[in-house]
Amino acid sequence: MIHDIIAIIQDYWLLLLIGQYPNGPLGGLANTLILSALSIALAFPVSIMLALARLSKWRLLRWPVTALVYITRGVPLLMLILWSYFLVPLWTGADVPSFVTMLTTLVVYQGAFLSEVVRAGIVALGSGQMDAARALGHSSLGAMRFIILPQALYNMIPSIISTFVSTIKDTTLGYVINVPDLTFAASQVNNQLLTQPFQVFFILAVVYYAICWSLTHVANIVERRITRRRAGLSGGAAPVELVPAKIISEQL
Amino acid sequence: MSTSAAEIQQVQTIRLSDVCKSYGDYAVLKNIEAEVARGEVVVICGPSGSGKSTLIRTINRLEEINSGSITLDGQNIHAAMRTRELNLLRSRIGFVFQNFNLFPHLSVVENVSMSPIRVKGVAADVAHDKALKLLDRVGLADKARAYPGQLSGGQQQRVAIARALAMEPPVMLFDEPTSALDPEMVGEVLAVMKSLASEGMTMICVTHEMGFARDVADRIWFIDAGQILETAPPEEFFKTPRHPRAQRFLADLRH
Ligand SMILES: Nc1ncnc2c1ncn2[C@@H]1O[C@H](COP(=O)(O)OP(=O)(O)OP(=O)(O)O)[C@@H](O)[C@H]1O
Ligand SMILES: [Mg+2]
Repeated sequence: MIHDIIAIIQDYWLLLLIGQYPNGPLGGLANTLILSALSIALAFPVSIMLALARLSKWRLLRWPVTALVYITRGVPLLMLILWSYFLVPLWTGADVPSFVTMLTTLVVYQGAFLSEVVRAGIVALGSGQMDAARALGHSSLGAMRFIILPQALYNMIPSIISTFVSTIKDTTLGYVINVPDLTFAASQVNNQLLTQPFQVFFILAVVYYAICWSLTHVANIVERRITRRRAGLSGGAAPVELVPAKIISEQL
Repeated sequence: MSTSAAEIQQVQTIRLSDVCKSYGDYAVLKNIEAEVARGEVVVICGPSGSGKSTLIRTINRLEEINSGSITLDGQNIHAAMRTRELNLLRSRIGFVFQNFNLFPHLSVVENVSMSPIRVKGVAADVAHDKALKLLDRVGLADKARAYPGQLSGGQQQRVAIARALAMEPPVMLFDEPTSALDPEMVGEVLAVMKSLASEGMTMICVTHEMGFARDVADRIWFIDAGQILETAPPEEFFKTPRHPRAQRFLADLRH
């Protein structure tokens, strides 16, 4: 069993790592990491803009965005992926690479979920912080940027990270539209070996677990560092009892 | 009063005329007429729910009004204006909240210096030095690098006062600045407010601290059910309140 796994890794590590590259498109783990990183990097600012739009006093901005968020959150991701895969080329006539389709869909879908997290973080702060900012003459955008968002995002780090983790896991769905990622590579390996599906997909599971666990771990460290700075432990003041940073891990 | 209209015009800083505000059907402020002269200290008192917070929050437009006008040095605060103009106007009216509302993610000195930097465009080092001076003035120079969460309530409120002063407002508003404090911390905050008053700051304070009102206020506004029922100098207000509801309010306070 262990021998099988080691043998598979020895034979196929390059395929699992970079797919058919350089003879074909970049794939494997490299592509999974790129897709995950891009999705997260784009979904995060998108989610902040969606959250701000949903809290806007302008109805013309608030209503369409609210509708978008509700609809996106209310349908399965797989269905959204298939929709964009089949319908976007039909509507636009353009030949969109499946990687781009997957990335866009993930950004919209996770952006919608994350925007609810961000919005909840802002709302949970209460009105006192905004009142104070306005009383000092800050514009609403300035108040958001320097006063509200730094606190709201910090408070929501655990939920934000679990959304990031599920974004990484959702990249596997790219398999259905032939995005050449790690899952795709693993299934190619499985098709060649035919007799060892357990071993192949065990490797797959371990790799995904390692990626998601590392992200959670890094987030833990970051959060603890901010908490410590705020408690003033680096400023030489009286130590304040540290609340251990918790990362919601039910998604792991 | 024998002062002429022209003289009043000259010394007046804040003027409220016929200010009405309601939440739905419920009228919170009814035809408020009042003015505050430059350098004057006004204490607003009245029973809970009478509209004190609402009134003071309309003065820097944290609350909108339904009709009437509020002017600061002749400029109508509630006129239609660009948000930039309103922000500028707000920055000239210091506000101190009951719950301090310090920014917990910023150190004490950053709390004080960030608004001059971000709103007024003051250079960071200049704002920082100024913040340290203000913190010294409220007796917290040694806490500059601490975070709000590490301070006592009284210390937090003094930081909040320094933060408001950093914008160099000609007027300061206080909404029950000592109500959220443990009794032993009330004095330190009132002392800062007293020193501000003695330096000639125009102040409007909602407070239940009648000792402070007696010592510092130039005038008391007694407000009940959204109306200013009586305005009088403190010695007069406390000795011979005219309005029956003011009499009852003072009697209740003494018990
Ligand atoms: N956002 C709101 N919506 C509806 N009613 C409100 C709102 N804010 C205040 N009120 C009502 O307006 C009235 C005046 O409130 P306000 O907070 O000004 O009273 P206050 O004199 O400051 O009382 P306290 O001494 O308890 O602080 C109260 O009856 C309150 O219930
Ligand atoms: Mg109040």
